[in-house]
Amino acid sequence: MTDASLPSSSENRERVSLMAPDARTQKRKAAERRFRMYGIAGIATGIFFLIVLLVSIVSSGAGAFQQTFITVSVYLDPAKLDKNGNRNLEEISKVSTFGYTPLIQQALFDKVQENGIETPLEKSKDMKALISASAAAQIRDVVISNPDLIGETVDFRILASSRVDGYLKGRVQREDVARDKNIDAEHLDLVDALQPFGIIEKTFNMDFITGADASESRAESAGIGVAMIGSFFMMLVVLVLSLPIGVAASIYLEEFAPKNRWTDLIEVNIANLAAVPSIVFGILGLAVFIQFMHLPQSAPLVGGLVLTLMTLPTIIISTRASLKAVPPSIRDAALGVGASKMQSVFHHVLPLAAPGILTGTIIGLAQALGETAPLLLIGMVGFIASNAPDGIASGLLDPNSAMPAQIYEWAKRADPAFYERAWGGIIILLGFLISMNTIAVILRRRFERRW
Amino acid sequence: MPVLWLSAVITVLALFGFYFGRRRALQSAGGDSRLLHSLPSYYGSNALMKSVVPAFGLMILWLLAQPLFIENRIAGMIPESEISEGSNVGLVMSEVRRTADGLSNAVAGGFLDEEELQSGGAVLSDLTQRLRDAGQVVTNEISQPILDAAQTYRSMSGTSQLLMTVAVILVALVGAGWGVSESGRDFRARNVVEKGILAILIAAASVAILTTLGIILSLVFNTIEFFSLYPAIEFFTLLEWAPSFSGRGGASSLGIIPLLWGTLYISFVALLVAVPIGLFAAIYLSEYASPRVRGIAKPLLEILAGIPTIVYGLFALLTIGPLLVSVFGKDGLGWMGGGRAVMTAGIAMGIMLIPFVSSLSDDIINAVPQSLRDGSYGLGATRSETIKQVVLPAALPGIVGAILLAASRAIGETMIVVLGAGAAARLSLNPFEAMTTVTAKIVSQLTGDSDFASPEALVAFALGITLFVLTLALNVFALYIVRKYREQYE
Amino acid sequence: MKDMRILERDVDATAIKISARDVQVFYGDNHAIKDVNVEIQDKTVTAFIGPSGCGKSTFLRCLNRMNDTIDVCRVEGDISIDGEDIYDKRVDPVQLRAKVGMVFQKPNPFPKSIYDNVAYGPRIHGLAQSKADLDTIVEKSLRSAAIWDEVKDRLTAPGTGLSGGQQQRLCIARAIATQPEVLLMDEPCSALDPIATAQIEELIDELRQNYSVVIVTHSMQQAARVSQKTAFFHLGNLVEYGETGTIFTNPEDPRTESYITGRIG
Repeated sequence: MTDASLPSSSENRERVSLMAPDARTQKRKAAERRFRMYGIAGIATGIFFLIVLLVSIVSSGAGAFQQTFITVSVYLDPAKLDKNGNRNLEEISKVSTFGYTPLIQQALFDKVQENGIETPLEKSKDMKALISASAAAQIRDVVISNPDLIGETVDFRILASSRVDGYLKGRVQREDVARDKNIDAEHLDLVDALQPFGIIEKTFNMDFITGADASESRAESAGIGVAMIGSFFMMLVVLVLSLPIGVAASIYLEEFAPKNRWTDLIEVNIANLAAVPSIVFGILGLAVFIQFMHLPQSAPLVGGLVLTLMTLPTIIISTRASLKAVPPSIRDAALGVGASKMQSVFHHVLPLAAPGILTGTIIGLAQALGETAPLLLIGMVGFIASNAPDGIASGLLDPNSAMPAQIYEWAKRADPAFYERAWGGIIILLGFLISMNTIAVILRRRFERRW
Repeated sequence: MPVLWLSAVITVLALFGFYFGRRRALQSAGGDSRLLHSLPSYYGSNALMKSVVPAFGLMILWLLAQPLFIENRIAGMIPESEISEGSNVGLVMSEVRRTADGLSNAVAGGFLDEEELQSGGAVLSDLTQRLRDAGQVVTNEISQPILDAAQTYRSMSGTSQLLMTVAVILVALVGAGWGVSESGRDFRARNVVEKGILAILIAAASVAILTTLGIILSLVFNTIEFFSLYPAIEFFTLLEWAPSFSGRGGASSLGIIPLLWGTLYISFVALLVAVPIGLFAAIYLSEYASPRVRGIAKPLLEILAGIPTIVYGLFALLTIGPLLVSVFGKDGLGWMGGGRAVMTAGIAMGIMLIPFVSSLSDDIINAVPQSLRDGSYGLGATRSETIKQVVLPAALPGIVGAILLAASRAIGETMIVVLGAGAAARLSLNPFEAMTTVTAKIVSQLTGDSDFASPEALVAFALGITLFVLTLALNVFALYIVRKYREQYE
Repeated sequence: MKDMRILERDVDATAIKISARDVQVFYGDNHAIKDVNVEIQDKTVTAFIGPSGCGKSTFLRCLNRMNDTIDVCRVEGDISIDGEDIYDKRVDPVQLRAKVGMVFQKPNPFPKSIYDNVAYGPRIHGLAQSKADLDTIVEKSLRSAAIWDEVKDRLTAPGTGLSGGQQQRLCIARAIATQPEVLLMDEPCSALDPIATAQIEELIDELRQNYSVVIVTHSMQQAARVSQKTAFFHLGNLVEYGETGTIFTNPEDPRTESYITGRIG
């Protein structure tokens, strides 16, 4: 053990006061500060991206909640709408929206004249660029539901065209207009002139939240309401299926499963399913539910089934964690008073784990709500669901869209007016996700139990 | 909605079973529940279980088996002559189904008369037009064999539905009756019910297996079908991806290599963004940050993980793309043609993966025992020296696992690449060029107009199986590394 | 202030190396160490004994500011080494710890090779001019820790692969390689078997030639075997401090006596 050549403390180094750091220490301290800065930079970059993302969502999407409307007094000309004058509903219905368009244009043109606004646009037809194509349908619906209005002059609040809307929101610039065949600079002058009279005004747009999607040419009347209902029905399916199945599976695996190959197989399976790309679940849905079982395409039921399979692993993993958190002493106590294993689980363990299970389920649902890729494959995009479903069965089985799929659909369209809708849709979607996650966090905070 | 009604009927029968089972048990004990073996509700549950489970089980099995059975029978009816060049039985079968659905819808809508159909009075050429008038989708002219097959299909489906309804209700009744008749004071209802519940729990746990099985079977069968129409060698070796739009095979070049290249390139860019940022963030959070800073910064970063991918897709398309074009595009450096490019999608995906990398690495760095840090500090090392030379080397396997998991995420990501990466398959090194990925092509091949039975659609399944195998391998490997790593310090 | 080198130093065995005055340590609201006054001599083995939770390890960690790494820990009072207050704002704990090495309760070799474990300290402090220099330091340190013969053929093998006693001696070699002046040992033998313990104890006695060694131990026999001075801690107070022989045979304080005789602890 003895060795003469012990390195002694004074051999290599001069004694340096602790008060004065030597050059090397200073260099090391600088390296330390640098490294620390990298860390701060990492966090700051992450948070910076988050802020950029949120700012661009809000700034680009806020416009979707406002819409430009035109107030006009339309004379419902009997000569055009009811040629025979007998107020026969069937005949009135035969007049298509083309019959109404000139009336609206005339009405707006009259307004312009009435208020003495000077404009180089001399024909009522020139008003077309200002008015949404959906205005005619809106007035036609009113007339068909109340034919007695024919012959009277009625005030309507109609949608302005998406170009006018974009102009008021700053999306359409004057320099863009030169290349635009839909609208001219004169139209924009007219819009500026009409604003002080309150004929054209920008107001809160409830229709975006409650309405249905519209065709490519009518960005101004597109809404996300119907897609929201589609998402709701999907989430209903997911909740109804994945919660019981997920909880049952977790209870089995956590409380009853013997340690054998089968159990191992299930466990490995669940861990891997959680990481399978969502698009693969879409392929599964397409092949099994639509091609094999012939369930209807684009139906929220199918979407819900696919999302259920996708969410199950998440729910099982979080449920097992909350079951595991219940200490064995609780189970022993129940068994000790003569309860069966099943009773101890269902009467004692499950209620204690319930808040955790609920939290996990809500987070799983939030994940499913924002998922898009599998929905593309089962056909929940590419068509326009114009009407809200009228019951549970039609809600589940009628073709519909879902919020993220609707956003995708809008993002694909050529007209930039739809981009604003897409961002607006994202605001609503994120609104739902944030509320769900907040509820989950509150639940966890409130009921979290430390054993 | 006969299935919904049928379910309602079963439920009502089962509730009756519950009521009578419970009552009979109580009666057998003279109304004194203490004399029973189990609580009265267990007797009711026994009857309920015995009617609901077999009835629903039968219904589900029937619904699954019915199309298989019927299609087998119908497929035999279709003569060889009907299967034209470049087509197959599957294509013809889907035409039969479409026709059958069209006929049913037309009859329901009042455009066609059932009598007329049955008697064969409807003229064939006229029928196609009438179906179109009724708003039904009819691609080809309906031929006589197809019409016959469609009619058989309809009648067999109808008969099968009826049979199923009868059988299921019968099973529910018998089950409920059995449960009720068992009820008696000495019957061990609780044990039976608990066994039943356990069986249900096992069934629920097996859903995960069934899902995997479903994924594998649907991928494998369709891929085999694809390879029967398109040579596998070409799929794996061809350097070109150019599906023909006519929907008829032959002219398409379906090589996976350009897609894989795009996938890997975009994932690489994404990791290049996510790994340094995420890793440094994790290091700061776990080694430097005070609990307060950590309590704020960690959830903030994790918000990024909760944002749906469609949002990142839109962000790539409408914010990152234009931004990159303004710098690298025509007006700037001139490297970039359009907003959609490898960089666009890669950066958006990288942002998405930051919290993924950071929270996984954070966990892993925290698992490095404090004693190692103490040992290093005790020797006079600074924090950064400790992190770089002791903590990170110790955590390296875990961090590699985390990065592999992130890579598997990136490879499987769909929405960002669909919106941000472009549609053209290209083998190029320029990151400012548009490329496409495996996932993006799965979407475009399966959402297009081509028929499910054409190679252009079926190729999606071959792409899907490649993607599945690739991500699965990465995951299994990564999870294995992480588990080994954790065991080392437990 | 820059040139505060202490050129002449008394290396007499009775020189005071570390002196602590009125040291208080708080963990959050918990007052862990109360009014500790102690003077530790150079080239001496000083043992801290006392029942578990009495604060002996906490006090030891104050001597090289290891408690800095714990957020809630707060130290008051003066601790000086060679007359310099180590809690002075100007003192860099990194430099301090190079001067005051530490060996921990559980052997904690880094997940590196044996060579790299020992070379770690010299590398970060820049003690070696060349590779040959570093080799010499590593060999000397391993020899000093009496483990050279066991590992000289497998210096590239991972340090974690050694047995518990070997790992602890590797950790001591690692601490020596930094060429400290004081060596703190926090229950270095508690995780070891008796044979390994005996080897470490013998080693500690060797180390006394060159270092001031402070050892925390829960074993009174060990304190009696290896130390010249002993301090007895109880409930955060330093109860008694003196020659090891005196403490064990003729303690002044009744609490010390109760502990020595096994009535408390």
